Amino acid sequence: MVLASTHPSSLRAARRLLELPPAVRRSFWSTASAAAIERKPEIFDLVCVGGGPAGLSLVSALRSDPATKGLKIALVDGQDLTTSRTPGNEGFSNRCSSLTPASLHFLKEIGAWNNVNNIRTQPYHGMEVWDGVSGSKISFDPVDQTPGLLDSLAELVPGSRFAASKRKYETGDPTTVATICENGNLTAALLQQLKESGGVEILDKTKVESINLGPEPENEEALDLSQWPVLTLPNNRQLAARLLVGADGANSPVRQFADIPSHGWDYGQNGVVATLQLDRSFTADEIRTAYQRFLPTGPIALLPLPGNRASLVWSTTAPFATKLKQLSPPDFIAMVNAAFRLLPIDIDFMLTHHESVSPASELAWRETSTNSKSLGLLNTFPRVAEVQEGSVASFPLRMRHADTYTGHRVALIGDAAHTVHPLAGQGLNLGLADSESLVKSIAYGMETGMDIGSCWCLDGYNADRWAKNNAMLGVVDKLQKLYSVGSGPVVWGRSLGLDLVNKMGPLKGALMGAAAGTK
Amino acid sequence: MAPVRPQSFLSLPAPLRRAVASYSLARAAYAPPLANSTSIRAHSTESSPHNGHAGSSVNETEVSHFNTLASSWWDPHGSSRLLHLMNQHRHPFINRCLSTAPPLPPNHKRKYLDIGCGGGIFAESAARLATTQSVTAVDPTPEVIAVAKRHQRTDPLLMEPGRLTYHNIPIEALPLPTTPADGFDIVSLFEVIEHIQQPAPFLRSILQHLKPGGWLIGSTIARTGTSWFTTKFMAEEVLQMVPRGTHEWSQYIQPHELKSWAAKQPDLEGWQTMGVVYVPGFGWKEVDGSESWGNYFFGVRKKSLEE
Ligand SMILES: Cc1cc2nc3c(=O)[nH]c(=O)nc-3n(C[C@H](O)[C@H](O)[C@H](O)COP(=O)(O)OP(=O)(O)OC[C@H]3O[C@@H](n4cnc5c(N)ncnc54)[C@H](O)[C@@H]3O)c2cc1C
Repeated sequence: MVLASTHPSSLRAARRLLELPPAVRRSFWSTASAAAIERKPEIFDLVCVGGGPAGLSLVSALRSDPATKGLKIALVDGQDLTTSRTPGNEGFSNRCSSLTPASLHFLKEIGAWNNVNNIRTQPYHGMEVWDGVSGSKISFDPVDQTPGLLDSLAELVPGSRFAASKRKYETGDPTTVATICENGNLTAALLQQLKESGGVEILDKTKVESINLGPEPENEEALDLSQWPVLTLPNNRQLAARLLVGADGANSPVRQFADIPSHGWDYGQNGVVATLQLDRSFTADEIRTAYQRFLPTGPIALLPLPGNRASLVWSTTAPFATKLKQLSPPDFIAMVNAAFRLLPIDIDFMLTHHESVSPASELAWRETSTNSKSLGLLNTFPRVAEVQEGSVASFPLRMRHADTYTGHRVALIGDAAHTVHPLAGQGLNLGLADSESLVKSIAYGMETGMDIGSCWCLDGYNADRWAKNNAMLGVVDKLQKLYSVGSGPVVWGRSLGLDLVNKMGPLKGALMGAAAGTK
Repeated sequence: MAPVRPQSFLSLPAPLRRAVASYSLARAAYAPPLANSTSIRAHSTESSPHNGHAGSSVNETEVSHFNTLASSWWDPHGSSRLLHLMNQHRHPFINRCLSTAPPLPPNHKRKYLDIGCGGGIFAESAARLATTQSVTAVDPTPEVIAVAKRHQRTDPLLMEPGRLTYHNIPIEALPLPTTPADGFDIVSLFEVIEHIQQPAPFLRSILQHLKPGGWLIGSTIARTGTSWFTTKFMAEEVLQMVPRGTHEWSQYIQPHELKSWAAKQPDLEGWQTMGVVYVPGFGWKEVDGSESWGNYFFGVRKKSLEE
C-alpha cells in the first residue's frame, strides 16, 4: 500500500492557517479588570445575556421546539427577574408596547401568551394619525381594506410587514390592529413559562463581569475552547458558550465583545411615558382606537388600556421632557391635552413658560380660540383626566443598527441589535421577530447537525432579519425626520401625501400595517 | 493488501453562470485489482491522466494540490463553502431514505461509517445529531485527517468518547463487522465515486460494512454536457477557480448507471435519488429531474435478513 507522504512544511502551514481566528475580529469585554479564564469553564450550548422580552422569548421558544429542547441553556440578567414589574391591580406600568398580530401569533405558538394576564391587555381596532401642523390626517379604519396596492407595497419595502399585513386582511381577524400589553406582563408570562418547563438555568441578579475568549488548549490532543466566548460572573463562575446570544439591550456588552460596530444617531428627543386616566371608561368589547399626532418636536401617542386607562408615549425635545417630568399632575394633564388639541406654537409657548403661566388656564382659553377640527382633531378624541402617580418617566430616543447580527459563536437580538424610534411602536416587536427567526435557524442547525455557534447556522438568521429590520428602521427614521419639520414645502407636501393616502383605502391599510407592524 | 492509489485532491467550484455549478471533492481514488470486475462505467474513457496502474506511486502534484487546499476546509468563506452548504441537504435526504423503509425502533441510535471523510464536514454533523450513536470516519490522506481531528477538538460534544472516531486508513483496512448486526446503519460516500477507477467492485466491497437494513448513501455528479461545462470548462479553464485536472469528467457516473448496478445486486433494494442545483445567492436547491444532469444524491438499502 502506498500512502501520500506527509510534508512537514505543508502540515505546519495548514496548522498556522487553522489558528487564524474566524473572519470576525474579536476583543474582550469587561466591566472590571479582566478575569483570568480558568482551565475548565462550565460548558453550555447557549448562554443568553439579557432577560428582557427578546431574551426571554428566545429561550422560551427554544424550550418549546422539539429540535432545540435538549440544548443546555443559561440565561443571565443583572436585574431581579422574579419581582413582577407590573404594579398591582390599581394601576398600569408606564412601559407598554403594542404587540402586533405577528408577535401575538409567535407568543401563542410558543405557549407563552396563555400566561399573560389578559385583563391587563387591550386590543385596539383603529388608529388615528394626524399631522399637527397641517391637520391632514389618515384614519386607519380596518374595515375599508381592500387588497391590491398592498401587493406592490409589499414589494416596495421588503421586510416591513406589508406582505404579512396583506395576508392578515385577506384571511385573519380583520379587526385587531395590535394589542397593548405592559412589558412586565409579557416578561412575567415568559418567565413563568420557563419556570414551568424547567431545563434552563436562570441566573438573574447576576451581572456579567467580563467576556473573553476561552483558554488555549493544554496540549495538542486536548479540547480547544480558544474560540469560545467565556463569561465571567460575580462569584467567579465561568460559562463557556457554544452560542452566546446578546439580548442585553442597547448598550449590549455582547455586541462590544464581538466587536460589532453599531451605527446611528441620537434624535435629541426623549420619550416621555405615563399612564393616564381618560374622562370616560370603555367596556372590554368596545372598539378602541390608538391616536398619534405628529408635532414638530416629535410625535405624541395615546394608546388604549382597559377601562378608562391609556398609555402615553410623547417624544419631545430633551429640555421639554425634563420640564414635563417636573410638572404637577394637574399641569401635566393640561399639557397632554394641549399637545393633542392646540397649535404647535401654543404648545411650545406653554412648555417654555410653564413656570409663569398655568397650563390649565392657558389650555382653557387657547382651546376656545383654536379651531381644533382644522387641526385634525376628532370629536371622539377623549380628554385626559388624570395621571397615575409616579408613572411619568422618560427615555432618550436613538436610532442604532448593528452592522451585522452574528459573529463566530455570537448572535444579537432585540435592542442589542437595533434601537428604533418608538413612533411606530416597533422596538419590542422587532425583538420578538428576531427571537422567532433565530430559533428557526438554530432548530434547522440542530436537525442538520450544525455547530449552532457557527456561521453555517447563524447566517440564515442574519440574512432573514437584518434587511427587514433595516427597512423598518429606515421607514421609521424617515417618518421621524419628515414630521420634525414645522413649516414650509415639506409640510405642504406631507399633508398632500397624508390626504391622498387617506383617500386610498388599500394604501391606508398598508400604512396601518406598517405603523402597527401588523401581520 | 489492496493497492490503493490515493489521489488526494480537493476541488471546489463556485457559483457559475446559468445558476448552475457543480463541485466535487475527492479524497481517495481507489482501484482494486479485480480482474473480473464488471465496471458499471463500461464506456468510461481510459485516457485519464490519473489512471495509474494498481500500486502506482503517489502523484506528487496532486498531493501538493491538496495541501494547499486542506487548510480551507473550515473557513466559512473558503473553498469548501459549497460543500458546507450542501451538507445541510445530506441529513434530510438520509431521513427521506430511511422513511421509505420500516421504521427503526424509537430509541434506536444510528451508527455511521463515512468513507472519504475529508476534513470531517459530514462526519461532524452526523456525530452531533441526537439520533446518532457513533460515527466512524475514514480517509487515506493524513493531511485531511489532521485537519479533521484538529477541528473536532473545538467541540466538546465531538470529544465525547466514541462519538466521532477518525481513522487515517483506506476503507479496505477497516476491519469488517464480525456479525451482520455489528455493521453500520449508514455508510456514506459523498463526492467519492467520481474519483474511483472501478466503482462496481468498490461499491460491492463497502457493502460488507452495512448492517442488514442499513443504507448506503452517497452523492456525486452526473456526466453530462452541463457538468462538463461547469466543472471542467468553466471552473477549471475559464474561471480557474479550481486547478486544472481536479475533475475527471469521464469518471462521472450517471444516476441510471448506478441504479441499474444496484438493481442487479441481490442484497440491495429501495433506490432513492435527489438532484440538487447550486443557485448563487441562495445555496443548493433540490430540483426534480436535475439528477440526470448535475449533482445528485443516491441511497440504496441493504435488505434485512428476513427479506
Ligand atoms: C419610550 C419608549 C416606548 C416604547 N414603546 C414601544 C412600543 O409601543 N412597542 C414596541 O414594540 N416597542 C416599544 N419600545 C421599545 C421596547 O421597549 C424595547 O425595544 C424592548 O424593551 C427591548 O427589549 P430587549 O429584550 O431587546 O432589551 P431590554 O428590555 O433592554 O433588556 C435587556 C436586558 O439585559 C440586561 N443586561 C444588560 N447588560 C447586562 C449585563 N452586563 N449583565 C447581565 N444583564 C445585563 C438588562 O438588565 C435587561 O434586563 C419603546 C421604547 C421606549 C424607550
